[in-house]
Amino acid sequence: MTIAPELSDQVVSELADAVGGQHVLTSKTARYNRARVPAPFPVHRWAERVPDLVVMPASTEEVAEVMRIANAHRIPVVPRDGGTGLTDGAVPERRGIIVDVKRMNDVKAIDTDNRTCTVGAGINMLKLNEVLAPYGLLYPDDPASYPCSLVGGRIGTSGWSLIGSRYGHSRDLVLSFSFVLPTGRVIRVGDGGGPKVSKSSTGYQLKHLFMGHQGTLGIATEATLKLIPKPEAELSPFWAFPDYDSAHQCVQKLAHAGVATFAGAVLFDEWKVDYLRRDDEAYIPQPADVRALVCAVAYGNADEVRAGGKRFMRIARDAGARYLGDEISQGDWAARHDRYATPLHGRTRAGQVVPMSWHCEDSAINWTDLPQVRLEWHRIADDLRRRFDMFDDWGIFAYTSAATGVDYLTEIDIGIWEQELDDESWTAWVQAKKDIAEVAVRHGGSISACHGACRDGEVDLVPVELGGAFDVMLDVKRAVDPNNIMNPGKYLLDRAYETEVE
Amino acid sequence: MTGYRYHEQHTPPPARQVTDVAVERFEHIFEVDPKLMTAHVAQQLFPNWDTLRIAASRGDHLEWMHRHWAYQVISAQELLDEIESEQPG
Repeated sequence: MTIAPELSDQVVSELADAVGGQHVLTSKTARYNRARVPAPFPVHRWAERVPDLVVMPASTEEVAEVMRIANAHRIPVVPRDGGTGLTDGAVPERRGIIVDVKRMNDVKAIDTDNRTCTVGAGINMLKLNEVLAPYGLLYPDDPASYPCSLVGGRIGTSGWSLIGSRYGHSRDLVLSFSFVLPTGRVIRVGDGGGPKVSKSSTGYQLKHLFMGHQGTLGIATEATLKLIPKPEAELSPFWAFPDYDSAHQCVQKLAHAGVATFAGAVLFDEWKVDYLRRDDEAYIPQPADVRALVCAVAYGNADEVRAGGKRFMRIARDAGARYLGDEISQGDWAARHDRYATPLHGRTRAGQVVPMSWHCEDSAINWTDLPQVRLEWHRIADDLRRRFDMFDDWGIFAYTSAATGVDYLTEIDIGIWEQELDDESWTAWVQAKKDIAEVAVRHGGSISACHGACRDGEVDLVPVELGGAFDVMLDVKRAVDPNNIMNPGKYLLDRAYETEVE
Repeated sequence: MTGYRYHEQHTPPPARQVTDVAVERFEHIFEVDPKLMTAHVAQQLFPNWDTLRIAASRGDHLEWMHRHWAYQVISAQELLDEIESEQPG
């Protein structure tokens, strides 16, 4: 197990030489601000996850030098981009050095002929798209944290995009990137060797290996991205249904319709509607017979979006849906690009308002299994709420991950009164997370479609889900990071360094 | 020039009960029913202009987001009306 040694003056001096003294941050503020992510964690345990110091390098070369120093001194390194991830990838569990990449946020090149751009990994997608707007181009990676997450974090998470059913997810949109290995060696990974190639069959396909590792294999510093023309038109109708089953049938008919501009469809269950009816201005006035919701989204050329949209409207009408109107439809969809700005509160069992943090457990679930998974997940949440009056079930929604409707990013949102979490309730929550993950795996899904699966609870099920592939993960980790300095403690990867005792 | 009248700004319109958990004082601006905010979280008092400003800036933000992602937003209601008008009489 790698735990940071007390950082000596010598180490701090070497880091200052690498990145400049003013970019080595040791203040309590700088360290505590980088000790957590939005996912709830007991307040009385925050001090366990504070780094020894923070460095803010400005280039790939500076990151490489920091890695060489850390590797030589066996100091843990945790890369941190936007810090918006929900599985603790950016949280240091063994102290050490946080490498905050936010100074590497420049746009290095825009290639309008091949429709690519090359950027520092610390750039935010919204800010990038403001730079691309004069060219009529867009980088369509669209998480719920769109205004605050960064390209490098999307690589480390292998992120999921709201409109990925049309334009692909981070893994499809990032063509190649520079990557600093734990030894300080710099490689470029993509499809083949050319930085702007979207499909290659040369050699092993390493791009996916170095995406979604949650900072356990190295640090992405620069990326070349695929761009699209900014869409002429957007359409996002929302419909109401009197029951979940009708909505469940309809959402798959929309996904199966073969509409080329289809960018995603969303299904909201009864618990989600109850939550929205309580706290969302669009749904508070809805009549009681609204029990489930469906949304379909299309982007593209205006004539194509209109033609596809009419097909959507016919499908929904024939499925018994009631269109909720343009104001709700357009407003709700626009808000989905920015869910981290939503102020959160929940209810005690008595109905009193309390401040709550948002935790969403996400899985990849096949459409056929959504109804049963939903019931099992709510049973777990109900049991938790019955025992501890600090959890609130905010319902489930399911987004298409692909245009064919094969699988859905499925999330149960749980409100957590974080300030009240003690060791007993935290232990119960971790067990609930494990139970939720177990349901997903048992139904042939995956523990996570979007966030990753590093946190206590779900992480125990990763070897179960991956089987023999998890053993290969251990081999890869040991080969790439011989001293276990990269984000130690995550994904059960310490097992890669355990010595067998006869 | 109209002066700022403290009493006027700090006297919200009467609440209309919309559901068992929400009230409405300004059109389309809903508030949690005050009786649900007595034990753990107290309601803040906003001057009326600030309540309206917050709601309006939320609308501005959503409009901005539409423009950011596409040049135009197509009305699904228009599409539905077209479908209905295409039905054989």
